[in-house]
Amino acid sequence: MFDLSSRSAKLVFGTVAILIAFFLFFPIYWLVISAFKPNAELYRITPTLYPHDPVLTHFATAFGRGNLLQQLRNSLVVSCSAAALNTLLAIYAGYSFAKFRYSGRRLVMVFLLSAQVFPFGLLLISIYPVVTSLGLIDSLAGLTLSYIVFALPVSTYMFYSYFTQVPSEMIEAARADGAGELRIFHTIVLPVSIPAVVTVFLYGFMWSWNDLLYAMTLIVSESKRTIGPGMLLAYLNEVNSDWGGAMAASIAASAPIVVAFAFLQRWFIQGVTAGSVK
Amino acid sequence: MTMTSAEGTPAPPRMSAFARKGGLKAHERRVGRLFLLPALAAFALVILFPFLRALGVAFTRSDLQTPEPVFVGLANFRAILATPEILGAFVTTAVYVGLATAGTVVLGLGWALILNQSFRGRAVLRAVTLIPWVLPSTVTAFVWGWIFNSRFGVLNAALVGVGAIPHPTAWLSTTGGAMTAIVITKIWFSIPLFMSFFLAGLQSLDREQIDAARVDGASNFALLRDHILPHLRPVLLVVIVLGVIGNLQHFDTIFALTGGGPVRATSVLSIEVYRRAFDQWDLGMASALGLLWVATIMPAAYFYLRHLLKGA
Repeated sequence: MFDLSSRSAKLVFGTVAILIAFFLFFPIYWLVISAFKPNAELYRITPTLYPHDPVLTHFATAFGRGNLLQQLRNSLVVSCSAAALNTLLAIYAGYSFAKFRYSGRRLVMVFLLSAQVFPFGLLLISIYPVVTSLGLIDSLAGLTLSYIVFALPVSTYMFYSYFTQVPSEMIEAARADGAGELRIFHTIVLPVSIPAVVTVFLYGFMWSWNDLLYAMTLIVSESKRTIGPGMLLAYLNEVNSDWGGAMAASIAASAPIVVAFAFLQRWFIQGVTAGSVK
Repeated sequence: MTMTSAEGTPAPPRMSAFARKGGLKAHERRVGRLFLLPALAAFALVILFPFLRALGVAFTRSDLQTPEPVFVGLANFRAILATPEILGAFVTTAVYVGLATAGTVVLGLGWALILNQSFRGRAVLRAVTLIPWVLPSTVTAFVWGWIFNSRFGVLNAALVGVGAIPHPTAWLSTTGGAMTAIVITKIWFSIPLFMSFFLAGLQSLDREQIDAARVDGASNFALLRDHILPHLRPVLLVVIVLGVIGNLQHFDTIFALTGGGPVRATSVLSIEVYRRAFDQWDLGMASALGLLWVATIMPAAYFYLRHLLKGA
């Protein structure tokens, strides 16, 4: 886009690029190398720029605490279930909005989408008693159910905008052949919608995996903790912080989501920018 | 590529009132509503009902001494207006939202312009740019908590090292330092999403128009001012609105980094509502404050919804 043949243009462009890149990537570099520094190297007034004496002790202590693996497993269970539930609910709603016309449709769309702007914190005040009365407080099932709040509105919209691009002729032809509506959806629409399904699943997974607020409020037992609040409680202790352990645990907690994105990011970004998410 | 792909596709032709009454149309209405049902039920359970309930609780006294809510009219709202420290939370929120949104827009746009140039390794760079955005909130808080650490943090070491400050700053325990830290943290992990929006906008820029302007001798700066920025105006509006909504709601990294402190220096509305509800269990006040919080989001939400529903 820009013409960078002149020296001054190269200089300005290059400087800005390096500054932003440094801001974006240095913290990640620092996270990773800090996990490999022995304590003597970690707690120095003048830090070393790379681990001179790399060790794996922080990983050993982080996993040795025993809770980390369990928290990772809890997070995995909740995030997969929440993502699946969210995808299942959103896909039919998005299909309905895109391919059917009925009175009240637009109104319901407004309602569903506006849910995205209600602060999660405010909804939590009332979700708490709802989950309690369902007998699901302090349970992974209750947390899973609550995570619908985060992703359902945007996921529905992502499916909606995807399905508007699926030609209606395909559906009408099948209907003319006498196929049932559920069969039309599952054999004709669903197979061409895999990119959207992957995107929405990952989106729901990400919200649940990364959440702190709901996880720390709706779960009380140590054995049911997910990684967000679990790590916070384990490491952010003002008196005696174990930063090496915190960094090692962070790498373990980030690995699944980063790996998932590495494979799926191209689809994902298209879906998300089309859905205009927060 | 338009922002909402829905815009590009014409909606199915509207049926006349007469045709709609026919058997096929009645069938379509019924099936359409059935497909909607599961999501609607979930929506009612975890979003609509909780919201309506909060709406009711806001007009009651409901705390540890009063387990059965008692209707008190506008008393909670009056109490909020009479409590300077709660009103202070609105100011703190405005500062946080303003700084974080502005910072993310500028850096997100800058980064998008850079990633829109063609150079080797661009695809990889675009992909890894997303990492800050996908990290769990707690990890993000750890990363920046460690960088801003007052004794062993790399930021203090660097600033003292180059002589920018005479001695280390206790970032997270001073008023200005804590605000700086939470704003920078928010900007850091919001850049990737903003960058993606700007990049999507840039890709629909008319190359021929740019080339023609260049042949006419337009400088890079003139190109940016006269062609690129005007083209990005609609994207910019969406991004600002989304940024404001997201920043108004943000809780996780602020809570993990400062907990709203020192004292109340970073106690934004999300923190304030959480403290009232889950530390003090004063649900009446928390809900009332929460509704005022919703009210601050509404103007941005209006523009956002109008944009989303264009052509729906």
